[in-house]
Amino acid sequence: MRALLFSVSAVALAFLTTAPGPWHEGSSEERVPNADARLEHAPFLGPVAASEALGLRGLSAAADGATAPTAAAQEARGVPREFYFTRAAYSGGGRGFRRRQGWSTDYPKADQIFLSFIDRLLSNLDAYEREHPIRLDDPEVRRFPYLYALEVGGMYLTQPEIDGLRDYLLAGGFLVIDDFWGSREWANFEYQIQLVLPGYEIVDLPLDHPIFTTFYEIDEIMQIPNVNQGVRGGPTHERDGYVPMVKGIHDENGRLMVVINWNTDLGDAWEWADDPYYPIKYSTYAYEMGVNMIVYAMSH
Amino acid sequence: MQAFMEFLFKYRLLLFQEGDFAFESPWPTMVVLGVVAALAVPAILTYGAARGDTQPLDRMVMAGLRLGVVGVLVFILFQPILVLTSVVPQRNFVGILIDDSQSMRITGNDGLPRSAFIESTFGSEGSELMSALAEKFSLRFFRFSRETSRLGDVSELEYVGTATELGEAMVRVQEELTGVPLSGLIVLSDGADNSGEPLAESLLPLQAANIPVYTVGLGDEVLSPDVQVSRVEIPRTVLVGTSLVVDVIVSHRGYAGRTVPLIVEDGGQVIATEDVALGEDGEPVVARVRLEVAESGPRLLSFRVPVQDGEPVEQNNAREVLIDVADESEKILYFEGEPRWELKFVRRAVADDENLQVVVLQRTAAGKFLRLEVDDAEELAAGFPKTREELFKYRGLVLGSVEASFFTHDQLNMIVDFVSQRGGGLLLLGGRNSFAQGGYEGTSLAEAMPVFLDDERNTEAGTYFDELLVSPTRTGLTHPATQLGRDDSEGIRELWESLPAVTTLNPITRIKPGATSLLTGGTDQDRSRQIVLAYHRYGRGKVIALPVQDTWIWQMHADIALEDQTHETFWRQLLRWLIDGVPDPVGAQSESEVVEPGQVVNLTVEVGDSAYLEVNDGSVVATVLGPAGDSITVPLDWAVDEDGRYDGTFTTTQAGLYEVSVQASRGADTLGTAITFMNAAPSVAEYFDASMRGTTLRRVAEETGGRFYTPETIADLPEDISLTGAGVTLTEERDLWDMPILLILLLGLMGAEWGYRRTRGLI
Repeated sequence: MRALLFSVSAVALAFLTTAPGPWHEGSSEERVPNADARLEHAPFLGPVAASEALGLRGLSAAADGATAPTAAAQEARGVPREFYFTRAAYSGGGRGFRRRQGWSTDYPKADQIFLSFIDRLLSNLDAYEREHPIRLDDPEVRRFPYLYALEVGGMYLTQPEIDGLRDYLLAGGFLVIDDFWGSREWANFEYQIQLVLPGYEIVDLPLDHPIFTTFYEIDEIMQIPNVNQGVRGGPTHERDGYVPMVKGIHDENGRLMVVINWNTDLGDAWEWADDPYYPIKYSTYAYEMGVNMIVYAMSH
Repeated sequence: MQAFMEFLFKYRLLLFQEGDFAFESPWPTMVVLGVVAALAVPAILTYGAARGDTQPLDRMVMAGLRLGVVGVLVFILFQPILVLTSVVPQRNFVGILIDDSQSMRITGNDGLPRSAFIESTFGSEGSELMSALAEKFSLRFFRFSRETSRLGDVSELEYVGTATELGEAMVRVQEELTGVPLSGLIVLSDGADNSGEPLAESLLPLQAANIPVYTVGLGDEVLSPDVQVSRVEIPRTVLVGTSLVVDVIVSHRGYAGRTVPLIVEDGGQVIATEDVALGEDGEPVVARVRLEVAESGPRLLSFRVPVQDGEPVEQNNAREVLIDVADESEKILYFEGEPRWELKFVRRAVADDENLQVVVLQRTAAGKFLRLEVDDAEELAAGFPKTREELFKYRGLVLGSVEASFFTHDQLNMIVDFVSQRGGGLLLLGGRNSFAQGGYEGTSLAEAMPVFLDDERNTEAGTYFDELLVSPTRTGLTHPATQLGRDDSEGIRELWESLPAVTTLNPITRIKPGATSLLTGGTDQDRSRQIVLAYHRYGRGKVIALPVQDTWIWQMHADIALEDQTHETFWRQLLRWLIDGVPDPVGAQSESEVVEPGQVVNLTVEVGDSAYLEVNDGSVVATVLGPAGDSITVPLDWAVDEDGRYDGTFTTTQAGLYEVSVQASRGADTLGTAITFMNAAPSVAEYFDASMRGTTLRRVAEETGGRFYTPETIADLPEDISLTGAGVTLTEERDLWDMPILLILLLGLMGAEWGYRRTRGLI
């Protein structure tokens, strides 16, 4: 009897630690976007065909920064473009008994779809159409003044990364943080960012901040759920992250260096905007924020 | 030598130059020659026929000598004379002009001031020269410096004049003495004319009236030893906080090889010092001083070299310059056609500069614009300005990566007018839609660019791309926009060459004639392959081309330290230079910003409307605030011969700073206001370049038919005037038969013939 109980619990334990749970964002294979569906009710998003053309099925979810393609390989592509949607390939992200993907969550599909929409919305932005990850301790990161980092609840930066990111931000770089939920993840992020920018205060960004008006007029901060919850129409929050917030860190001259989207998942909304089941209002908000952040970063 | 000649020929060379040679004998020349022949022929024949112990050569020599004797005798017998015109004593006047300026106080090598000669010659009674002159002429004395006036007694001279207007003086005196027979003018001066007017014009009336001017140069032609701050090249208005590099020209004599400090003071406080290595004697050196004027308003700067040992003239060691340091926020419109990093980093670089307001209009998507730093909600609400009034409100215009087809034809012309008519500064940045890549070739804007757009690589398939390591040109090393806040050429070059490479999508390799290239770029081996920064003046303004697309690399690159301010300094200086000298619709200027108390100031105001078109029917009023707080109103009138120009005058009464505020209006509309400053202070111009100007004085004398003297040679003056002067003259004949040379010649020839016969044993 005791042996049975033991083995059952062992199996259950094994199952719980290895199987993906409902709150875990699955890998891209699980959800197949319905490429044929048209979104008549979301004219601003435009046609979806472009996203198909970019090969959405390609996935190379590298688990950690160590195997991310280096910037040099990207450069070999000829004339450099003006804007690269650069993912910060930071260290950490895999810890504990859940296999979390850290920096490469939704990479590269989310990047590609996002860029395809950006191509329509910011039509005269010379943006490189493909994903572009880079390590924070790579000096080349300084050539790309826009950085995107998500799932920072599991971020553990090495010293070279801390120094690299600090120099990057103080020189004039702009960092967008996205998709981390709840107080525990906040605590981890706060700790990490304080290593990078000691003494710099994290403040709430009020709705009259220019970042909410540079391209679109955004008058409320929405909580964007991950795709699973969004599609099911269930609660939008994860963990204890009930209230979505947009916070920021300014440099000594009052210029915004880091914009932090907490308790919200812009990345999923970018990625699943063309899924007919994913509520349009989330995608709308997410793209509005995405565009605004890019325009803001490139003018302030 | 001259005295010996005078002994031989009885008279001075001048008499032979001025007089005509003639024979007084009543018989005509042909008769005379006939008689000579009649005498000479038999003489020759008899010698030819004579026998004796003589060679043909001997006979020829002796015949020659005898003939010589006969010739001289005949010459004497026929009474040679010199016909001269000389003035009738006491019937003519001579004007004596005495330089009454400060430069006459300068002591010469003999330790005496230049004025000492005046005193000794004309002051004391019984001076030989004075009596000799008074014997022949009626003397009229005048004094001149800035003005010319009659002089009663030489003791009235004070030598306090602050300028020497020689040409003016001569013309005035001649005018005053018209109607009387004037033999000539005597000018006693050091010739240091600093009126700025060409002397040739003043000499014309004298030449027309045939009045010779006899100039007497007082003082040493070479002032030694002396150090002089000759010139200061500095703009009259600057923006506060601008880093200026001022060229100061220092000349000297007698201190070759010495290094002297050049001290710049602002209101008594030293703001900069620079060591100047003096060159060869007489060779001016250019000293470059870096200044930053931190306070706004009118500032009186003094550039001074401390007095060196043994310098007789101290007053020329310092120059004062008045500059107007403006503290306005100048508006620049930066129009960017697409989201670009360059915009962000340029804004960041100059965000702290309170005097630059960079208004941004960025096209973020087709038909969608982002406006930043606008003054109000209406500014640029309709996108890029469509009227001249709207565009001309800005002083500078920066165009980023915008294709030419975005603008209407009229807007492109408007941009060109912005530069040529309004005088604004236009900066063109590189990018994928700039220059030829943006379709500007053949447009009116291409005409205004300082570079040629016709590169063959423009038409090649694919996108042109190049990485450039930048280097300054020779001009770039000394230009404020590219000096990066340093004043040493080596350091500047090093700094530029250490910067990471930037990239360009616009192949631009040639500047237009008349344009200047400040930066070039290329590979490490050859950094001059491509133009990186070039400009030229176009109409009233300037156009600058910067055909690279990512100078922000100089801020963000990993090799650039966080504290490094190169990018910031570059953009700050570039934008300040862009708007430097850009006029306002109403601009006021006085002739010079340093005037003397009591001097009349000529004020000129240029008036344009909001489209910068000249206004001829405006009303312009100036309010002059004096140093004591008193203010007067000066109305200005349209200068009929020039569009948009209004003139007026006022007189300064005391020393100090004068503020002139001008308001121009047309009907009920105010067209604009302007302020200019001037400093009234006693002038020390007389002490600069105060050596005796022999060349000038000689020229004046030669061109009028007079002569030049120094105190050493002046004894001949009275006689010279008699002989060469104008006025009432009579013809005089002077005998030449008793010239000692003739007697010597006679004796010499006879003696030679006798000696020859002796040596040849014929006697």
